[in-house]
Amino acid sequence: MNTKAQSVEDSIKEQISEMKDRVNGIDERLMTSESDLSKLTKIKFSGYIQSEFNKYENRATLPSNNFSLRRVRLKATYEAADGVKFVVQPDFSPGSFSLKDAYVVLNDHFIHQGIFKNAISLTAGKFNRLNYEVEYSSSQREVPERSLVIRSIYPGERAIGFKLEVNPQGIPLKVQLGMFNGNDGGFNQLSDTTGKFAANTIENKDYDNFKDIMARATYSFKLGNIGGLDIGAHAYFGSLKSNTNATLHSDFTTIDSSKVGDAVKRNWFGAEFQFFADVLGGMSLKGEYITGKNAMLGGSKFANGNLLPNFQNNFAGYYVYLIKNIGKKNQFAFRYDYYDPNTDIKGSDVTISKYAGSNSRKIGSFKSSKADLAYTTFTLAWHYYFDDNIRITLAYAIVQNEKVGTNSAGAPNYKETYTNPDGSVGTNDYSKVFNQNQLTIRLQAKF
Amino acid sequence: MKNLNFKKIAAFLTIIGIGIISFAFMNQERITVKGSDTMVILAQKWAEAYMKKNPSASIQVTGGGSGTGISALINGSTDICNASRKMKQTEIDKLKARYNTLGVEIPCAKDGITVYLHPTNKVKELTLKQLSDIFAGRTKNWKEVGGANAEIRLYGRENSSGTYVFFKDHVVKADYAPNCQTLPGTAAVVNAVKKDINAIGYGGAAYSAGIEICKVKKDANSPAYQANAETVKKNQYPITRYLYMYLRNRPTGAMKAYIDWILSPEGQNLVTDMGYFPVR
Repeated sequence: MNTKAQSVEDSIKEQISEMKDRVNGIDERLMTSESDLSKLTKIKFSGYIQSEFNKYENRATLPSNNFSLRRVRLKATYEAADGVKFVVQPDFSPGSFSLKDAYVVLNDHFIHQGIFKNAISLTAGKFNRLNYEVEYSSSQREVPERSLVIRSIYPGERAIGFKLEVNPQGIPLKVQLGMFNGNDGGFNQLSDTTGKFAANTIENKDYDNFKDIMARATYSFKLGNIGGLDIGAHAYFGSLKSNTNATLHSDFTTIDSSKVGDAVKRNWFGAEFQFFADVLGGMSLKGEYITGKNAMLGGSKFANGNLLPNFQNNFAGYYVYLIKNIGKKNQFAFRYDYYDPNTDIKGSDVTISKYAGSNSRKIGSFKSSKADLAYTTFTLAWHYYFDDNIRITLAYAIVQNEKVGTNSAGAPNYKETYTNPDGSVGTNDYSKVFNQNQLTIRLQAKF
Repeated sequence: MKNLNFKKIAAFLTIIGIGIISFAFMNQERITVKGSDTMVILAQKWAEAYMKKNPSASIQVTGGGSGTGISALINGSTDICNASRKMKQTEIDKLKARYNTLGVEIPCAKDGITVYLHPTNKVKELTLKQLSDIFAGRTKNWKEVGGANAEIRLYGRENSSGTYVFFKDHVVKADYAPNCQTLPGTAAVVNAVKKDINAIGYGGAAYSAGIEICKVKKDANSPAYQANAETVKKNQYPITRYLYMYLRNRPTGAMKAYIDWILSPEGQNLVTDMGYFPVR
């Protein structure tokens, strides 16, 4: 009996041991799976697609209506470790594949106490420049496109460089300092034949040793039960390397002698505010004013052999948004934006020969043009949030140009001709405010 | 501005105005609550008691963690978010971008994050520094803190939990040790500690039945306190925090009535009944 009992006990022990080994094996496999899974959870994908229909009322725009994919973004974020993040975001829009973002963020791990604990981060790579509307995602923006002033001074929004960001603990202050190549996404070279601005073909690659510096600071106030007010300012200090021996100012009369290699300055300042109030649902009023001096490079030769001058233009621009949420699903937005690329001359003076300048050797026939006219745009938009992922937008932009003068015969000093679908020739008369409004119906899917 | 049609714009604005007023006075009866697992039993108790008192009210409560609740608040899938931590600036920014508000923060209870030990563990109290060393993986054996010669087994919450974030920020002050097992909910942490004699875990005070509650000292020279109504109220217990409800907008209608009731003596009595500590 004892032998039998011993045998049963041994058998049970053996079975328990076997079960333990199996459990340990499963445990080991589970830990391996958990380890693999935890690596995968460090990778996050997000993105959005904006499919839209546009109707252009400017008769020079052909086709006057079209379907398009405005943005097709896929953003991959890898959190390699606590405080280390890699981000890559291409845009897959048809015919224009481009790398929008590619950067690494390193959070400070050296300060463990006080207001600067985990407060400092370094971002390096290609990322948004330091401005409210630039950094505000297109998937969230309440009107289809950024304001004209922002699109003009920060073309493409992104730049290659680095930034330091400080968010002190317990203080609603954000300070950003950045340094960039300075010629990103730009239209900062003059065409050698027309004297008008041409696309920079060396986007994101520097061609001089000058680096552009940006600084931005924002501070948030809480306004009790009403809401909050964020205020801020940013500054841009940049230079382009002169390739020619003259710089023409935007009054079209002042010419500075400059040597090849001199710095052509581009400096501007902006002040911003965002006011949020809980008045029968959320609403906000946001605005920014930016003014300063921008520059485009000359240097290529005119047909007569003269060098084109550099061009420095004093500019000013602003935008104001009023946004109102109604319930969880609906949102209305209104934006008024203004951009004057040349504050030194009036629209009525554009193309007038007295502004052609006195030094023809240096500036040739370079004259003020359409590019010196101010524009205002009043945009109305309604958004319907079908769910967290789908947003339907109906927007209408009312665009108004600054008027040019007329000659003694009553003809406009600047006009554009276009060919109608029936072959007839039409004219956009810039001495009048002509119809260039735009309707956009957009479906955005975001994940 | 000649070609702006002001009549059309005025009509457009009028329609919007009517819409705003209509929405403002819509009486929403069904309320969804989502968020902190620490708060889920309290939130369920509130909902049950309130619905019993107000049969027309419909309140649906789910957990998932503070981070999950805040995400739900931002994406519109919940009306009230329960959170055992404050909203982060990045989360407020998302709320601003989507709803143009900063959200409404309502402290509704206080909690002492409790450190759980197995009842057979010789260790009965720990300093904040010792807890930090244990959960960061710098202290690996119980004998280093006066216990048996055995490996310390760590149990904690998932990173979507407000308790996880609060304990990390205020106690661990470093990354959690890689061998800290993350579990979905404080109840799961308590169960794991009950079954493992070498375990240590953390969670809300309301879940402490059947396990040993570790006393906590600010430092080696301070007295050790257990989380209870008095020590939490007097801020003597070193790991004390507020529990919050977050809303997108200032409450109106049924939502306001429910929140007013939670902050009333009746609602706050339930806080005490459920093992938390009242704010009023």
